[in-house]
Amino acid sequence: MTARLLRRGRCHVFGDDIPLDEGLIPFDMAIRRIDDPSILVPELFRQIDPAFHDRVRPGDIIVAGRNFCCGKPHLQGFIAMASLGLSVVCTSMPYKAMRGAVAKGVAVMTGVDIQAFPFKTGDDVEVDYTDGTVRNVSQAVSLTGEALSATLTDIVAEGGTRGQLRTWLRDHPIMSTELPRPD
Amino acid sequence: MNAPFPSPARAPMTAAEKVLAAASGVLSVRPGDVVSPDPELVIIHDGYVESAYNELSQLGYKRIWRPERVVFVTDHEVAYASPASALRGTRIRRIAREWGITQFYDAGRGGHGHLFPLEQGLVRPGMFLSCYDMHCTNFGAVGALAVAAGAEIVSVLATGSVWEQVPHTVRILLEGQQGAGVMARDVGFHLSTLFAAGKLPAAHDNRIIEFSGDYVERLPLAGRVALCNSLTEIGVANVWFTPTASDLGKGGIGVTGDADAHYEATLHVDISHLVPQVALPGGPQFGVDVDEVAGTHVDHAYLGACGSGMYEDFASAAAVLRDRAVARHVRFFVVPGTVATAQRLANDGLLQVFQAAGAIVLPPGCGPCAGGVMGPLADGETSISTAATNHAGRFGSKTAQAYLGSPVTVAASAIAGCIADSRSLTLSPKGAR
Repeated sequence: MTARLLRRGRCHVFGDDIPLDEGLIPFDMAIRRIDDPSILVPELFRQIDPAFHDRVRPGDIIVAGRNFCCGKPHLQGFIAMASLGLSVVCTSMPYKAMRGAVAKGVAVMTGVDIQAFPFKTGDDVEVDYTDGTVRNVSQAVSLTGEALSATLTDIVAEGGTRGQLRTWLRDHPIMSTELPRPD
Repeated sequence: MNAPFPSPARAPMTAAEKVLAAASGVLSVRPGDVVSPDPELVIIHDGYVESAYNELSQLGYKRIWRPERVVFVTDHEVAYASPASALRGTRIRRIAREWGITQFYDAGRGGHGHLFPLEQGLVRPGMFLSCYDMHCTNFGAVGALAVAAGAEIVSVLATGSVWEQVPHTVRILLEGQQGAGVMARDVGFHLSTLFAAGKLPAAHDNRIIEFSGDYVERLPLAGRVALCNSLTEIGVANVWFTPTASDLGKGGIGVTGDADAHYEATLHVDISHLVPQVALPGGPQFGVDVDEVAGTHVDHAYLGACGSGMYEDFASAAAVLRDRAVARHVRFFVVPGTVATAQRLANDGLLQVFQAAGAIVLPPGCGPCAGGVMGPLADGETSISTAATNHAGRFGSKTAQAYLGSPVTVAASAIAGCIADSRSLTLSPKGAR
């Protein structure tokens, strides 16, 4: 069981209704089933924020409004985010998108009313996903959101579904052996 | 089931919450809880078997958890259209042997994996299932709860379960008598459109939609399946109907909600004045009255898929087609959902009605809806069908236009050669060929 899931980094602020396809990442990445982070990372937010790729640093935090990553829950954007160690704080996010992010090991906090306080891109932000607090260190303001459940915290901490499956295999070595062939 | 259904005295729950609680081995659940339910069955189709196998193999897995609960279904590409497809079928059969899959409904053995389990009683009321494909929500038509794990199905295959967050439930009472030419699919397009446009006072994202009301009480299983199908495309978590005596005749447990169960919202929708709907290209949530698009030229029509692939759907369409002919410029594909439905249509003479009209009957399964591997659209062509959805590229070409309609609207349109209202079909018998 993970004790705490804390993240601190510079934030990048986006508005409401950022679509997953053609917003978070080009739809073409999903159609081509690309899962190589080196191809996906330069495409992240490129269509709505061309300077993002030059600005982002590993460990940064994405701050967004309502309905972040709306549309079909393709996973390519989250693969890129996980590769950079990015995390999300937003007002709301469709369930399947949230689920896709967690499955790829991206920490997500919803229920944060970012309209209540003007985050600025570049602010230093600290997020405790375990208790649902967001602290804008640069502006000395704290907000609250929905804490990530213990189960989801563990998944993110282990690097998503694949990380969990590696742990499960280690704990259940019989799964790495073939079934006996029927006579 | 894995645990007895919880006592109503412990915590009031909806029927779906009770199934989820029982599968998770807990006395009660409430919306927002994260649980790890234990599925009685795990269903995965031919479009994802190889991907799941490759992912697990890369991680070092050489077997899966409880293979006796895992069902493989070949429905996306039934009649291989290329040597490469046939080779893929070979690989899937090898994976089935390697993993010890005993419930393998290969090509020609069952049909559409969202339909034949209902017909055969493989899926029964009260069951909890985990499936790869989102349209497993069809099983809510008999009061079973099937959760679409998508790519996370690998977790279920490897460990036996994957986490679920208990959704809120929205109750919709459908009331009134449907008008002429209106089918449950029209009601599904209408509700999807109202939800997506924010015209219903309730959220739908990741909600379980529980249907009841006098309209629902008259719906056959095919109609309930149609309602499950369209709403799934707009992002609901699941759809729930109380099973009928007929559903329970195949076994299972009729789970009902507690009288004081909590619903996030209760909506009353009167369908008495609804007219036949057509969903514009993009999805079932873009429904309009058929009059708005009537006369639109079509090159391609298709009857079948998981929302309209049951016997009653074909019988309704055959009644429109009988003694009429498909327009000369239209390719009209008819895809019985299951092997049993195809046999029944043949026995009843309805397949002959379709073939006499000039339709092309394809083998049971998904048909063109599975990415257009069979009966695709060419660039610039227009289709009307009963497919699950109709976004760009669904039937092959990204520049084709795909509309959705009910079985009778599709049949009428195939005859007319353009989108048509079955109520105003005036073509003389055999007049269009």
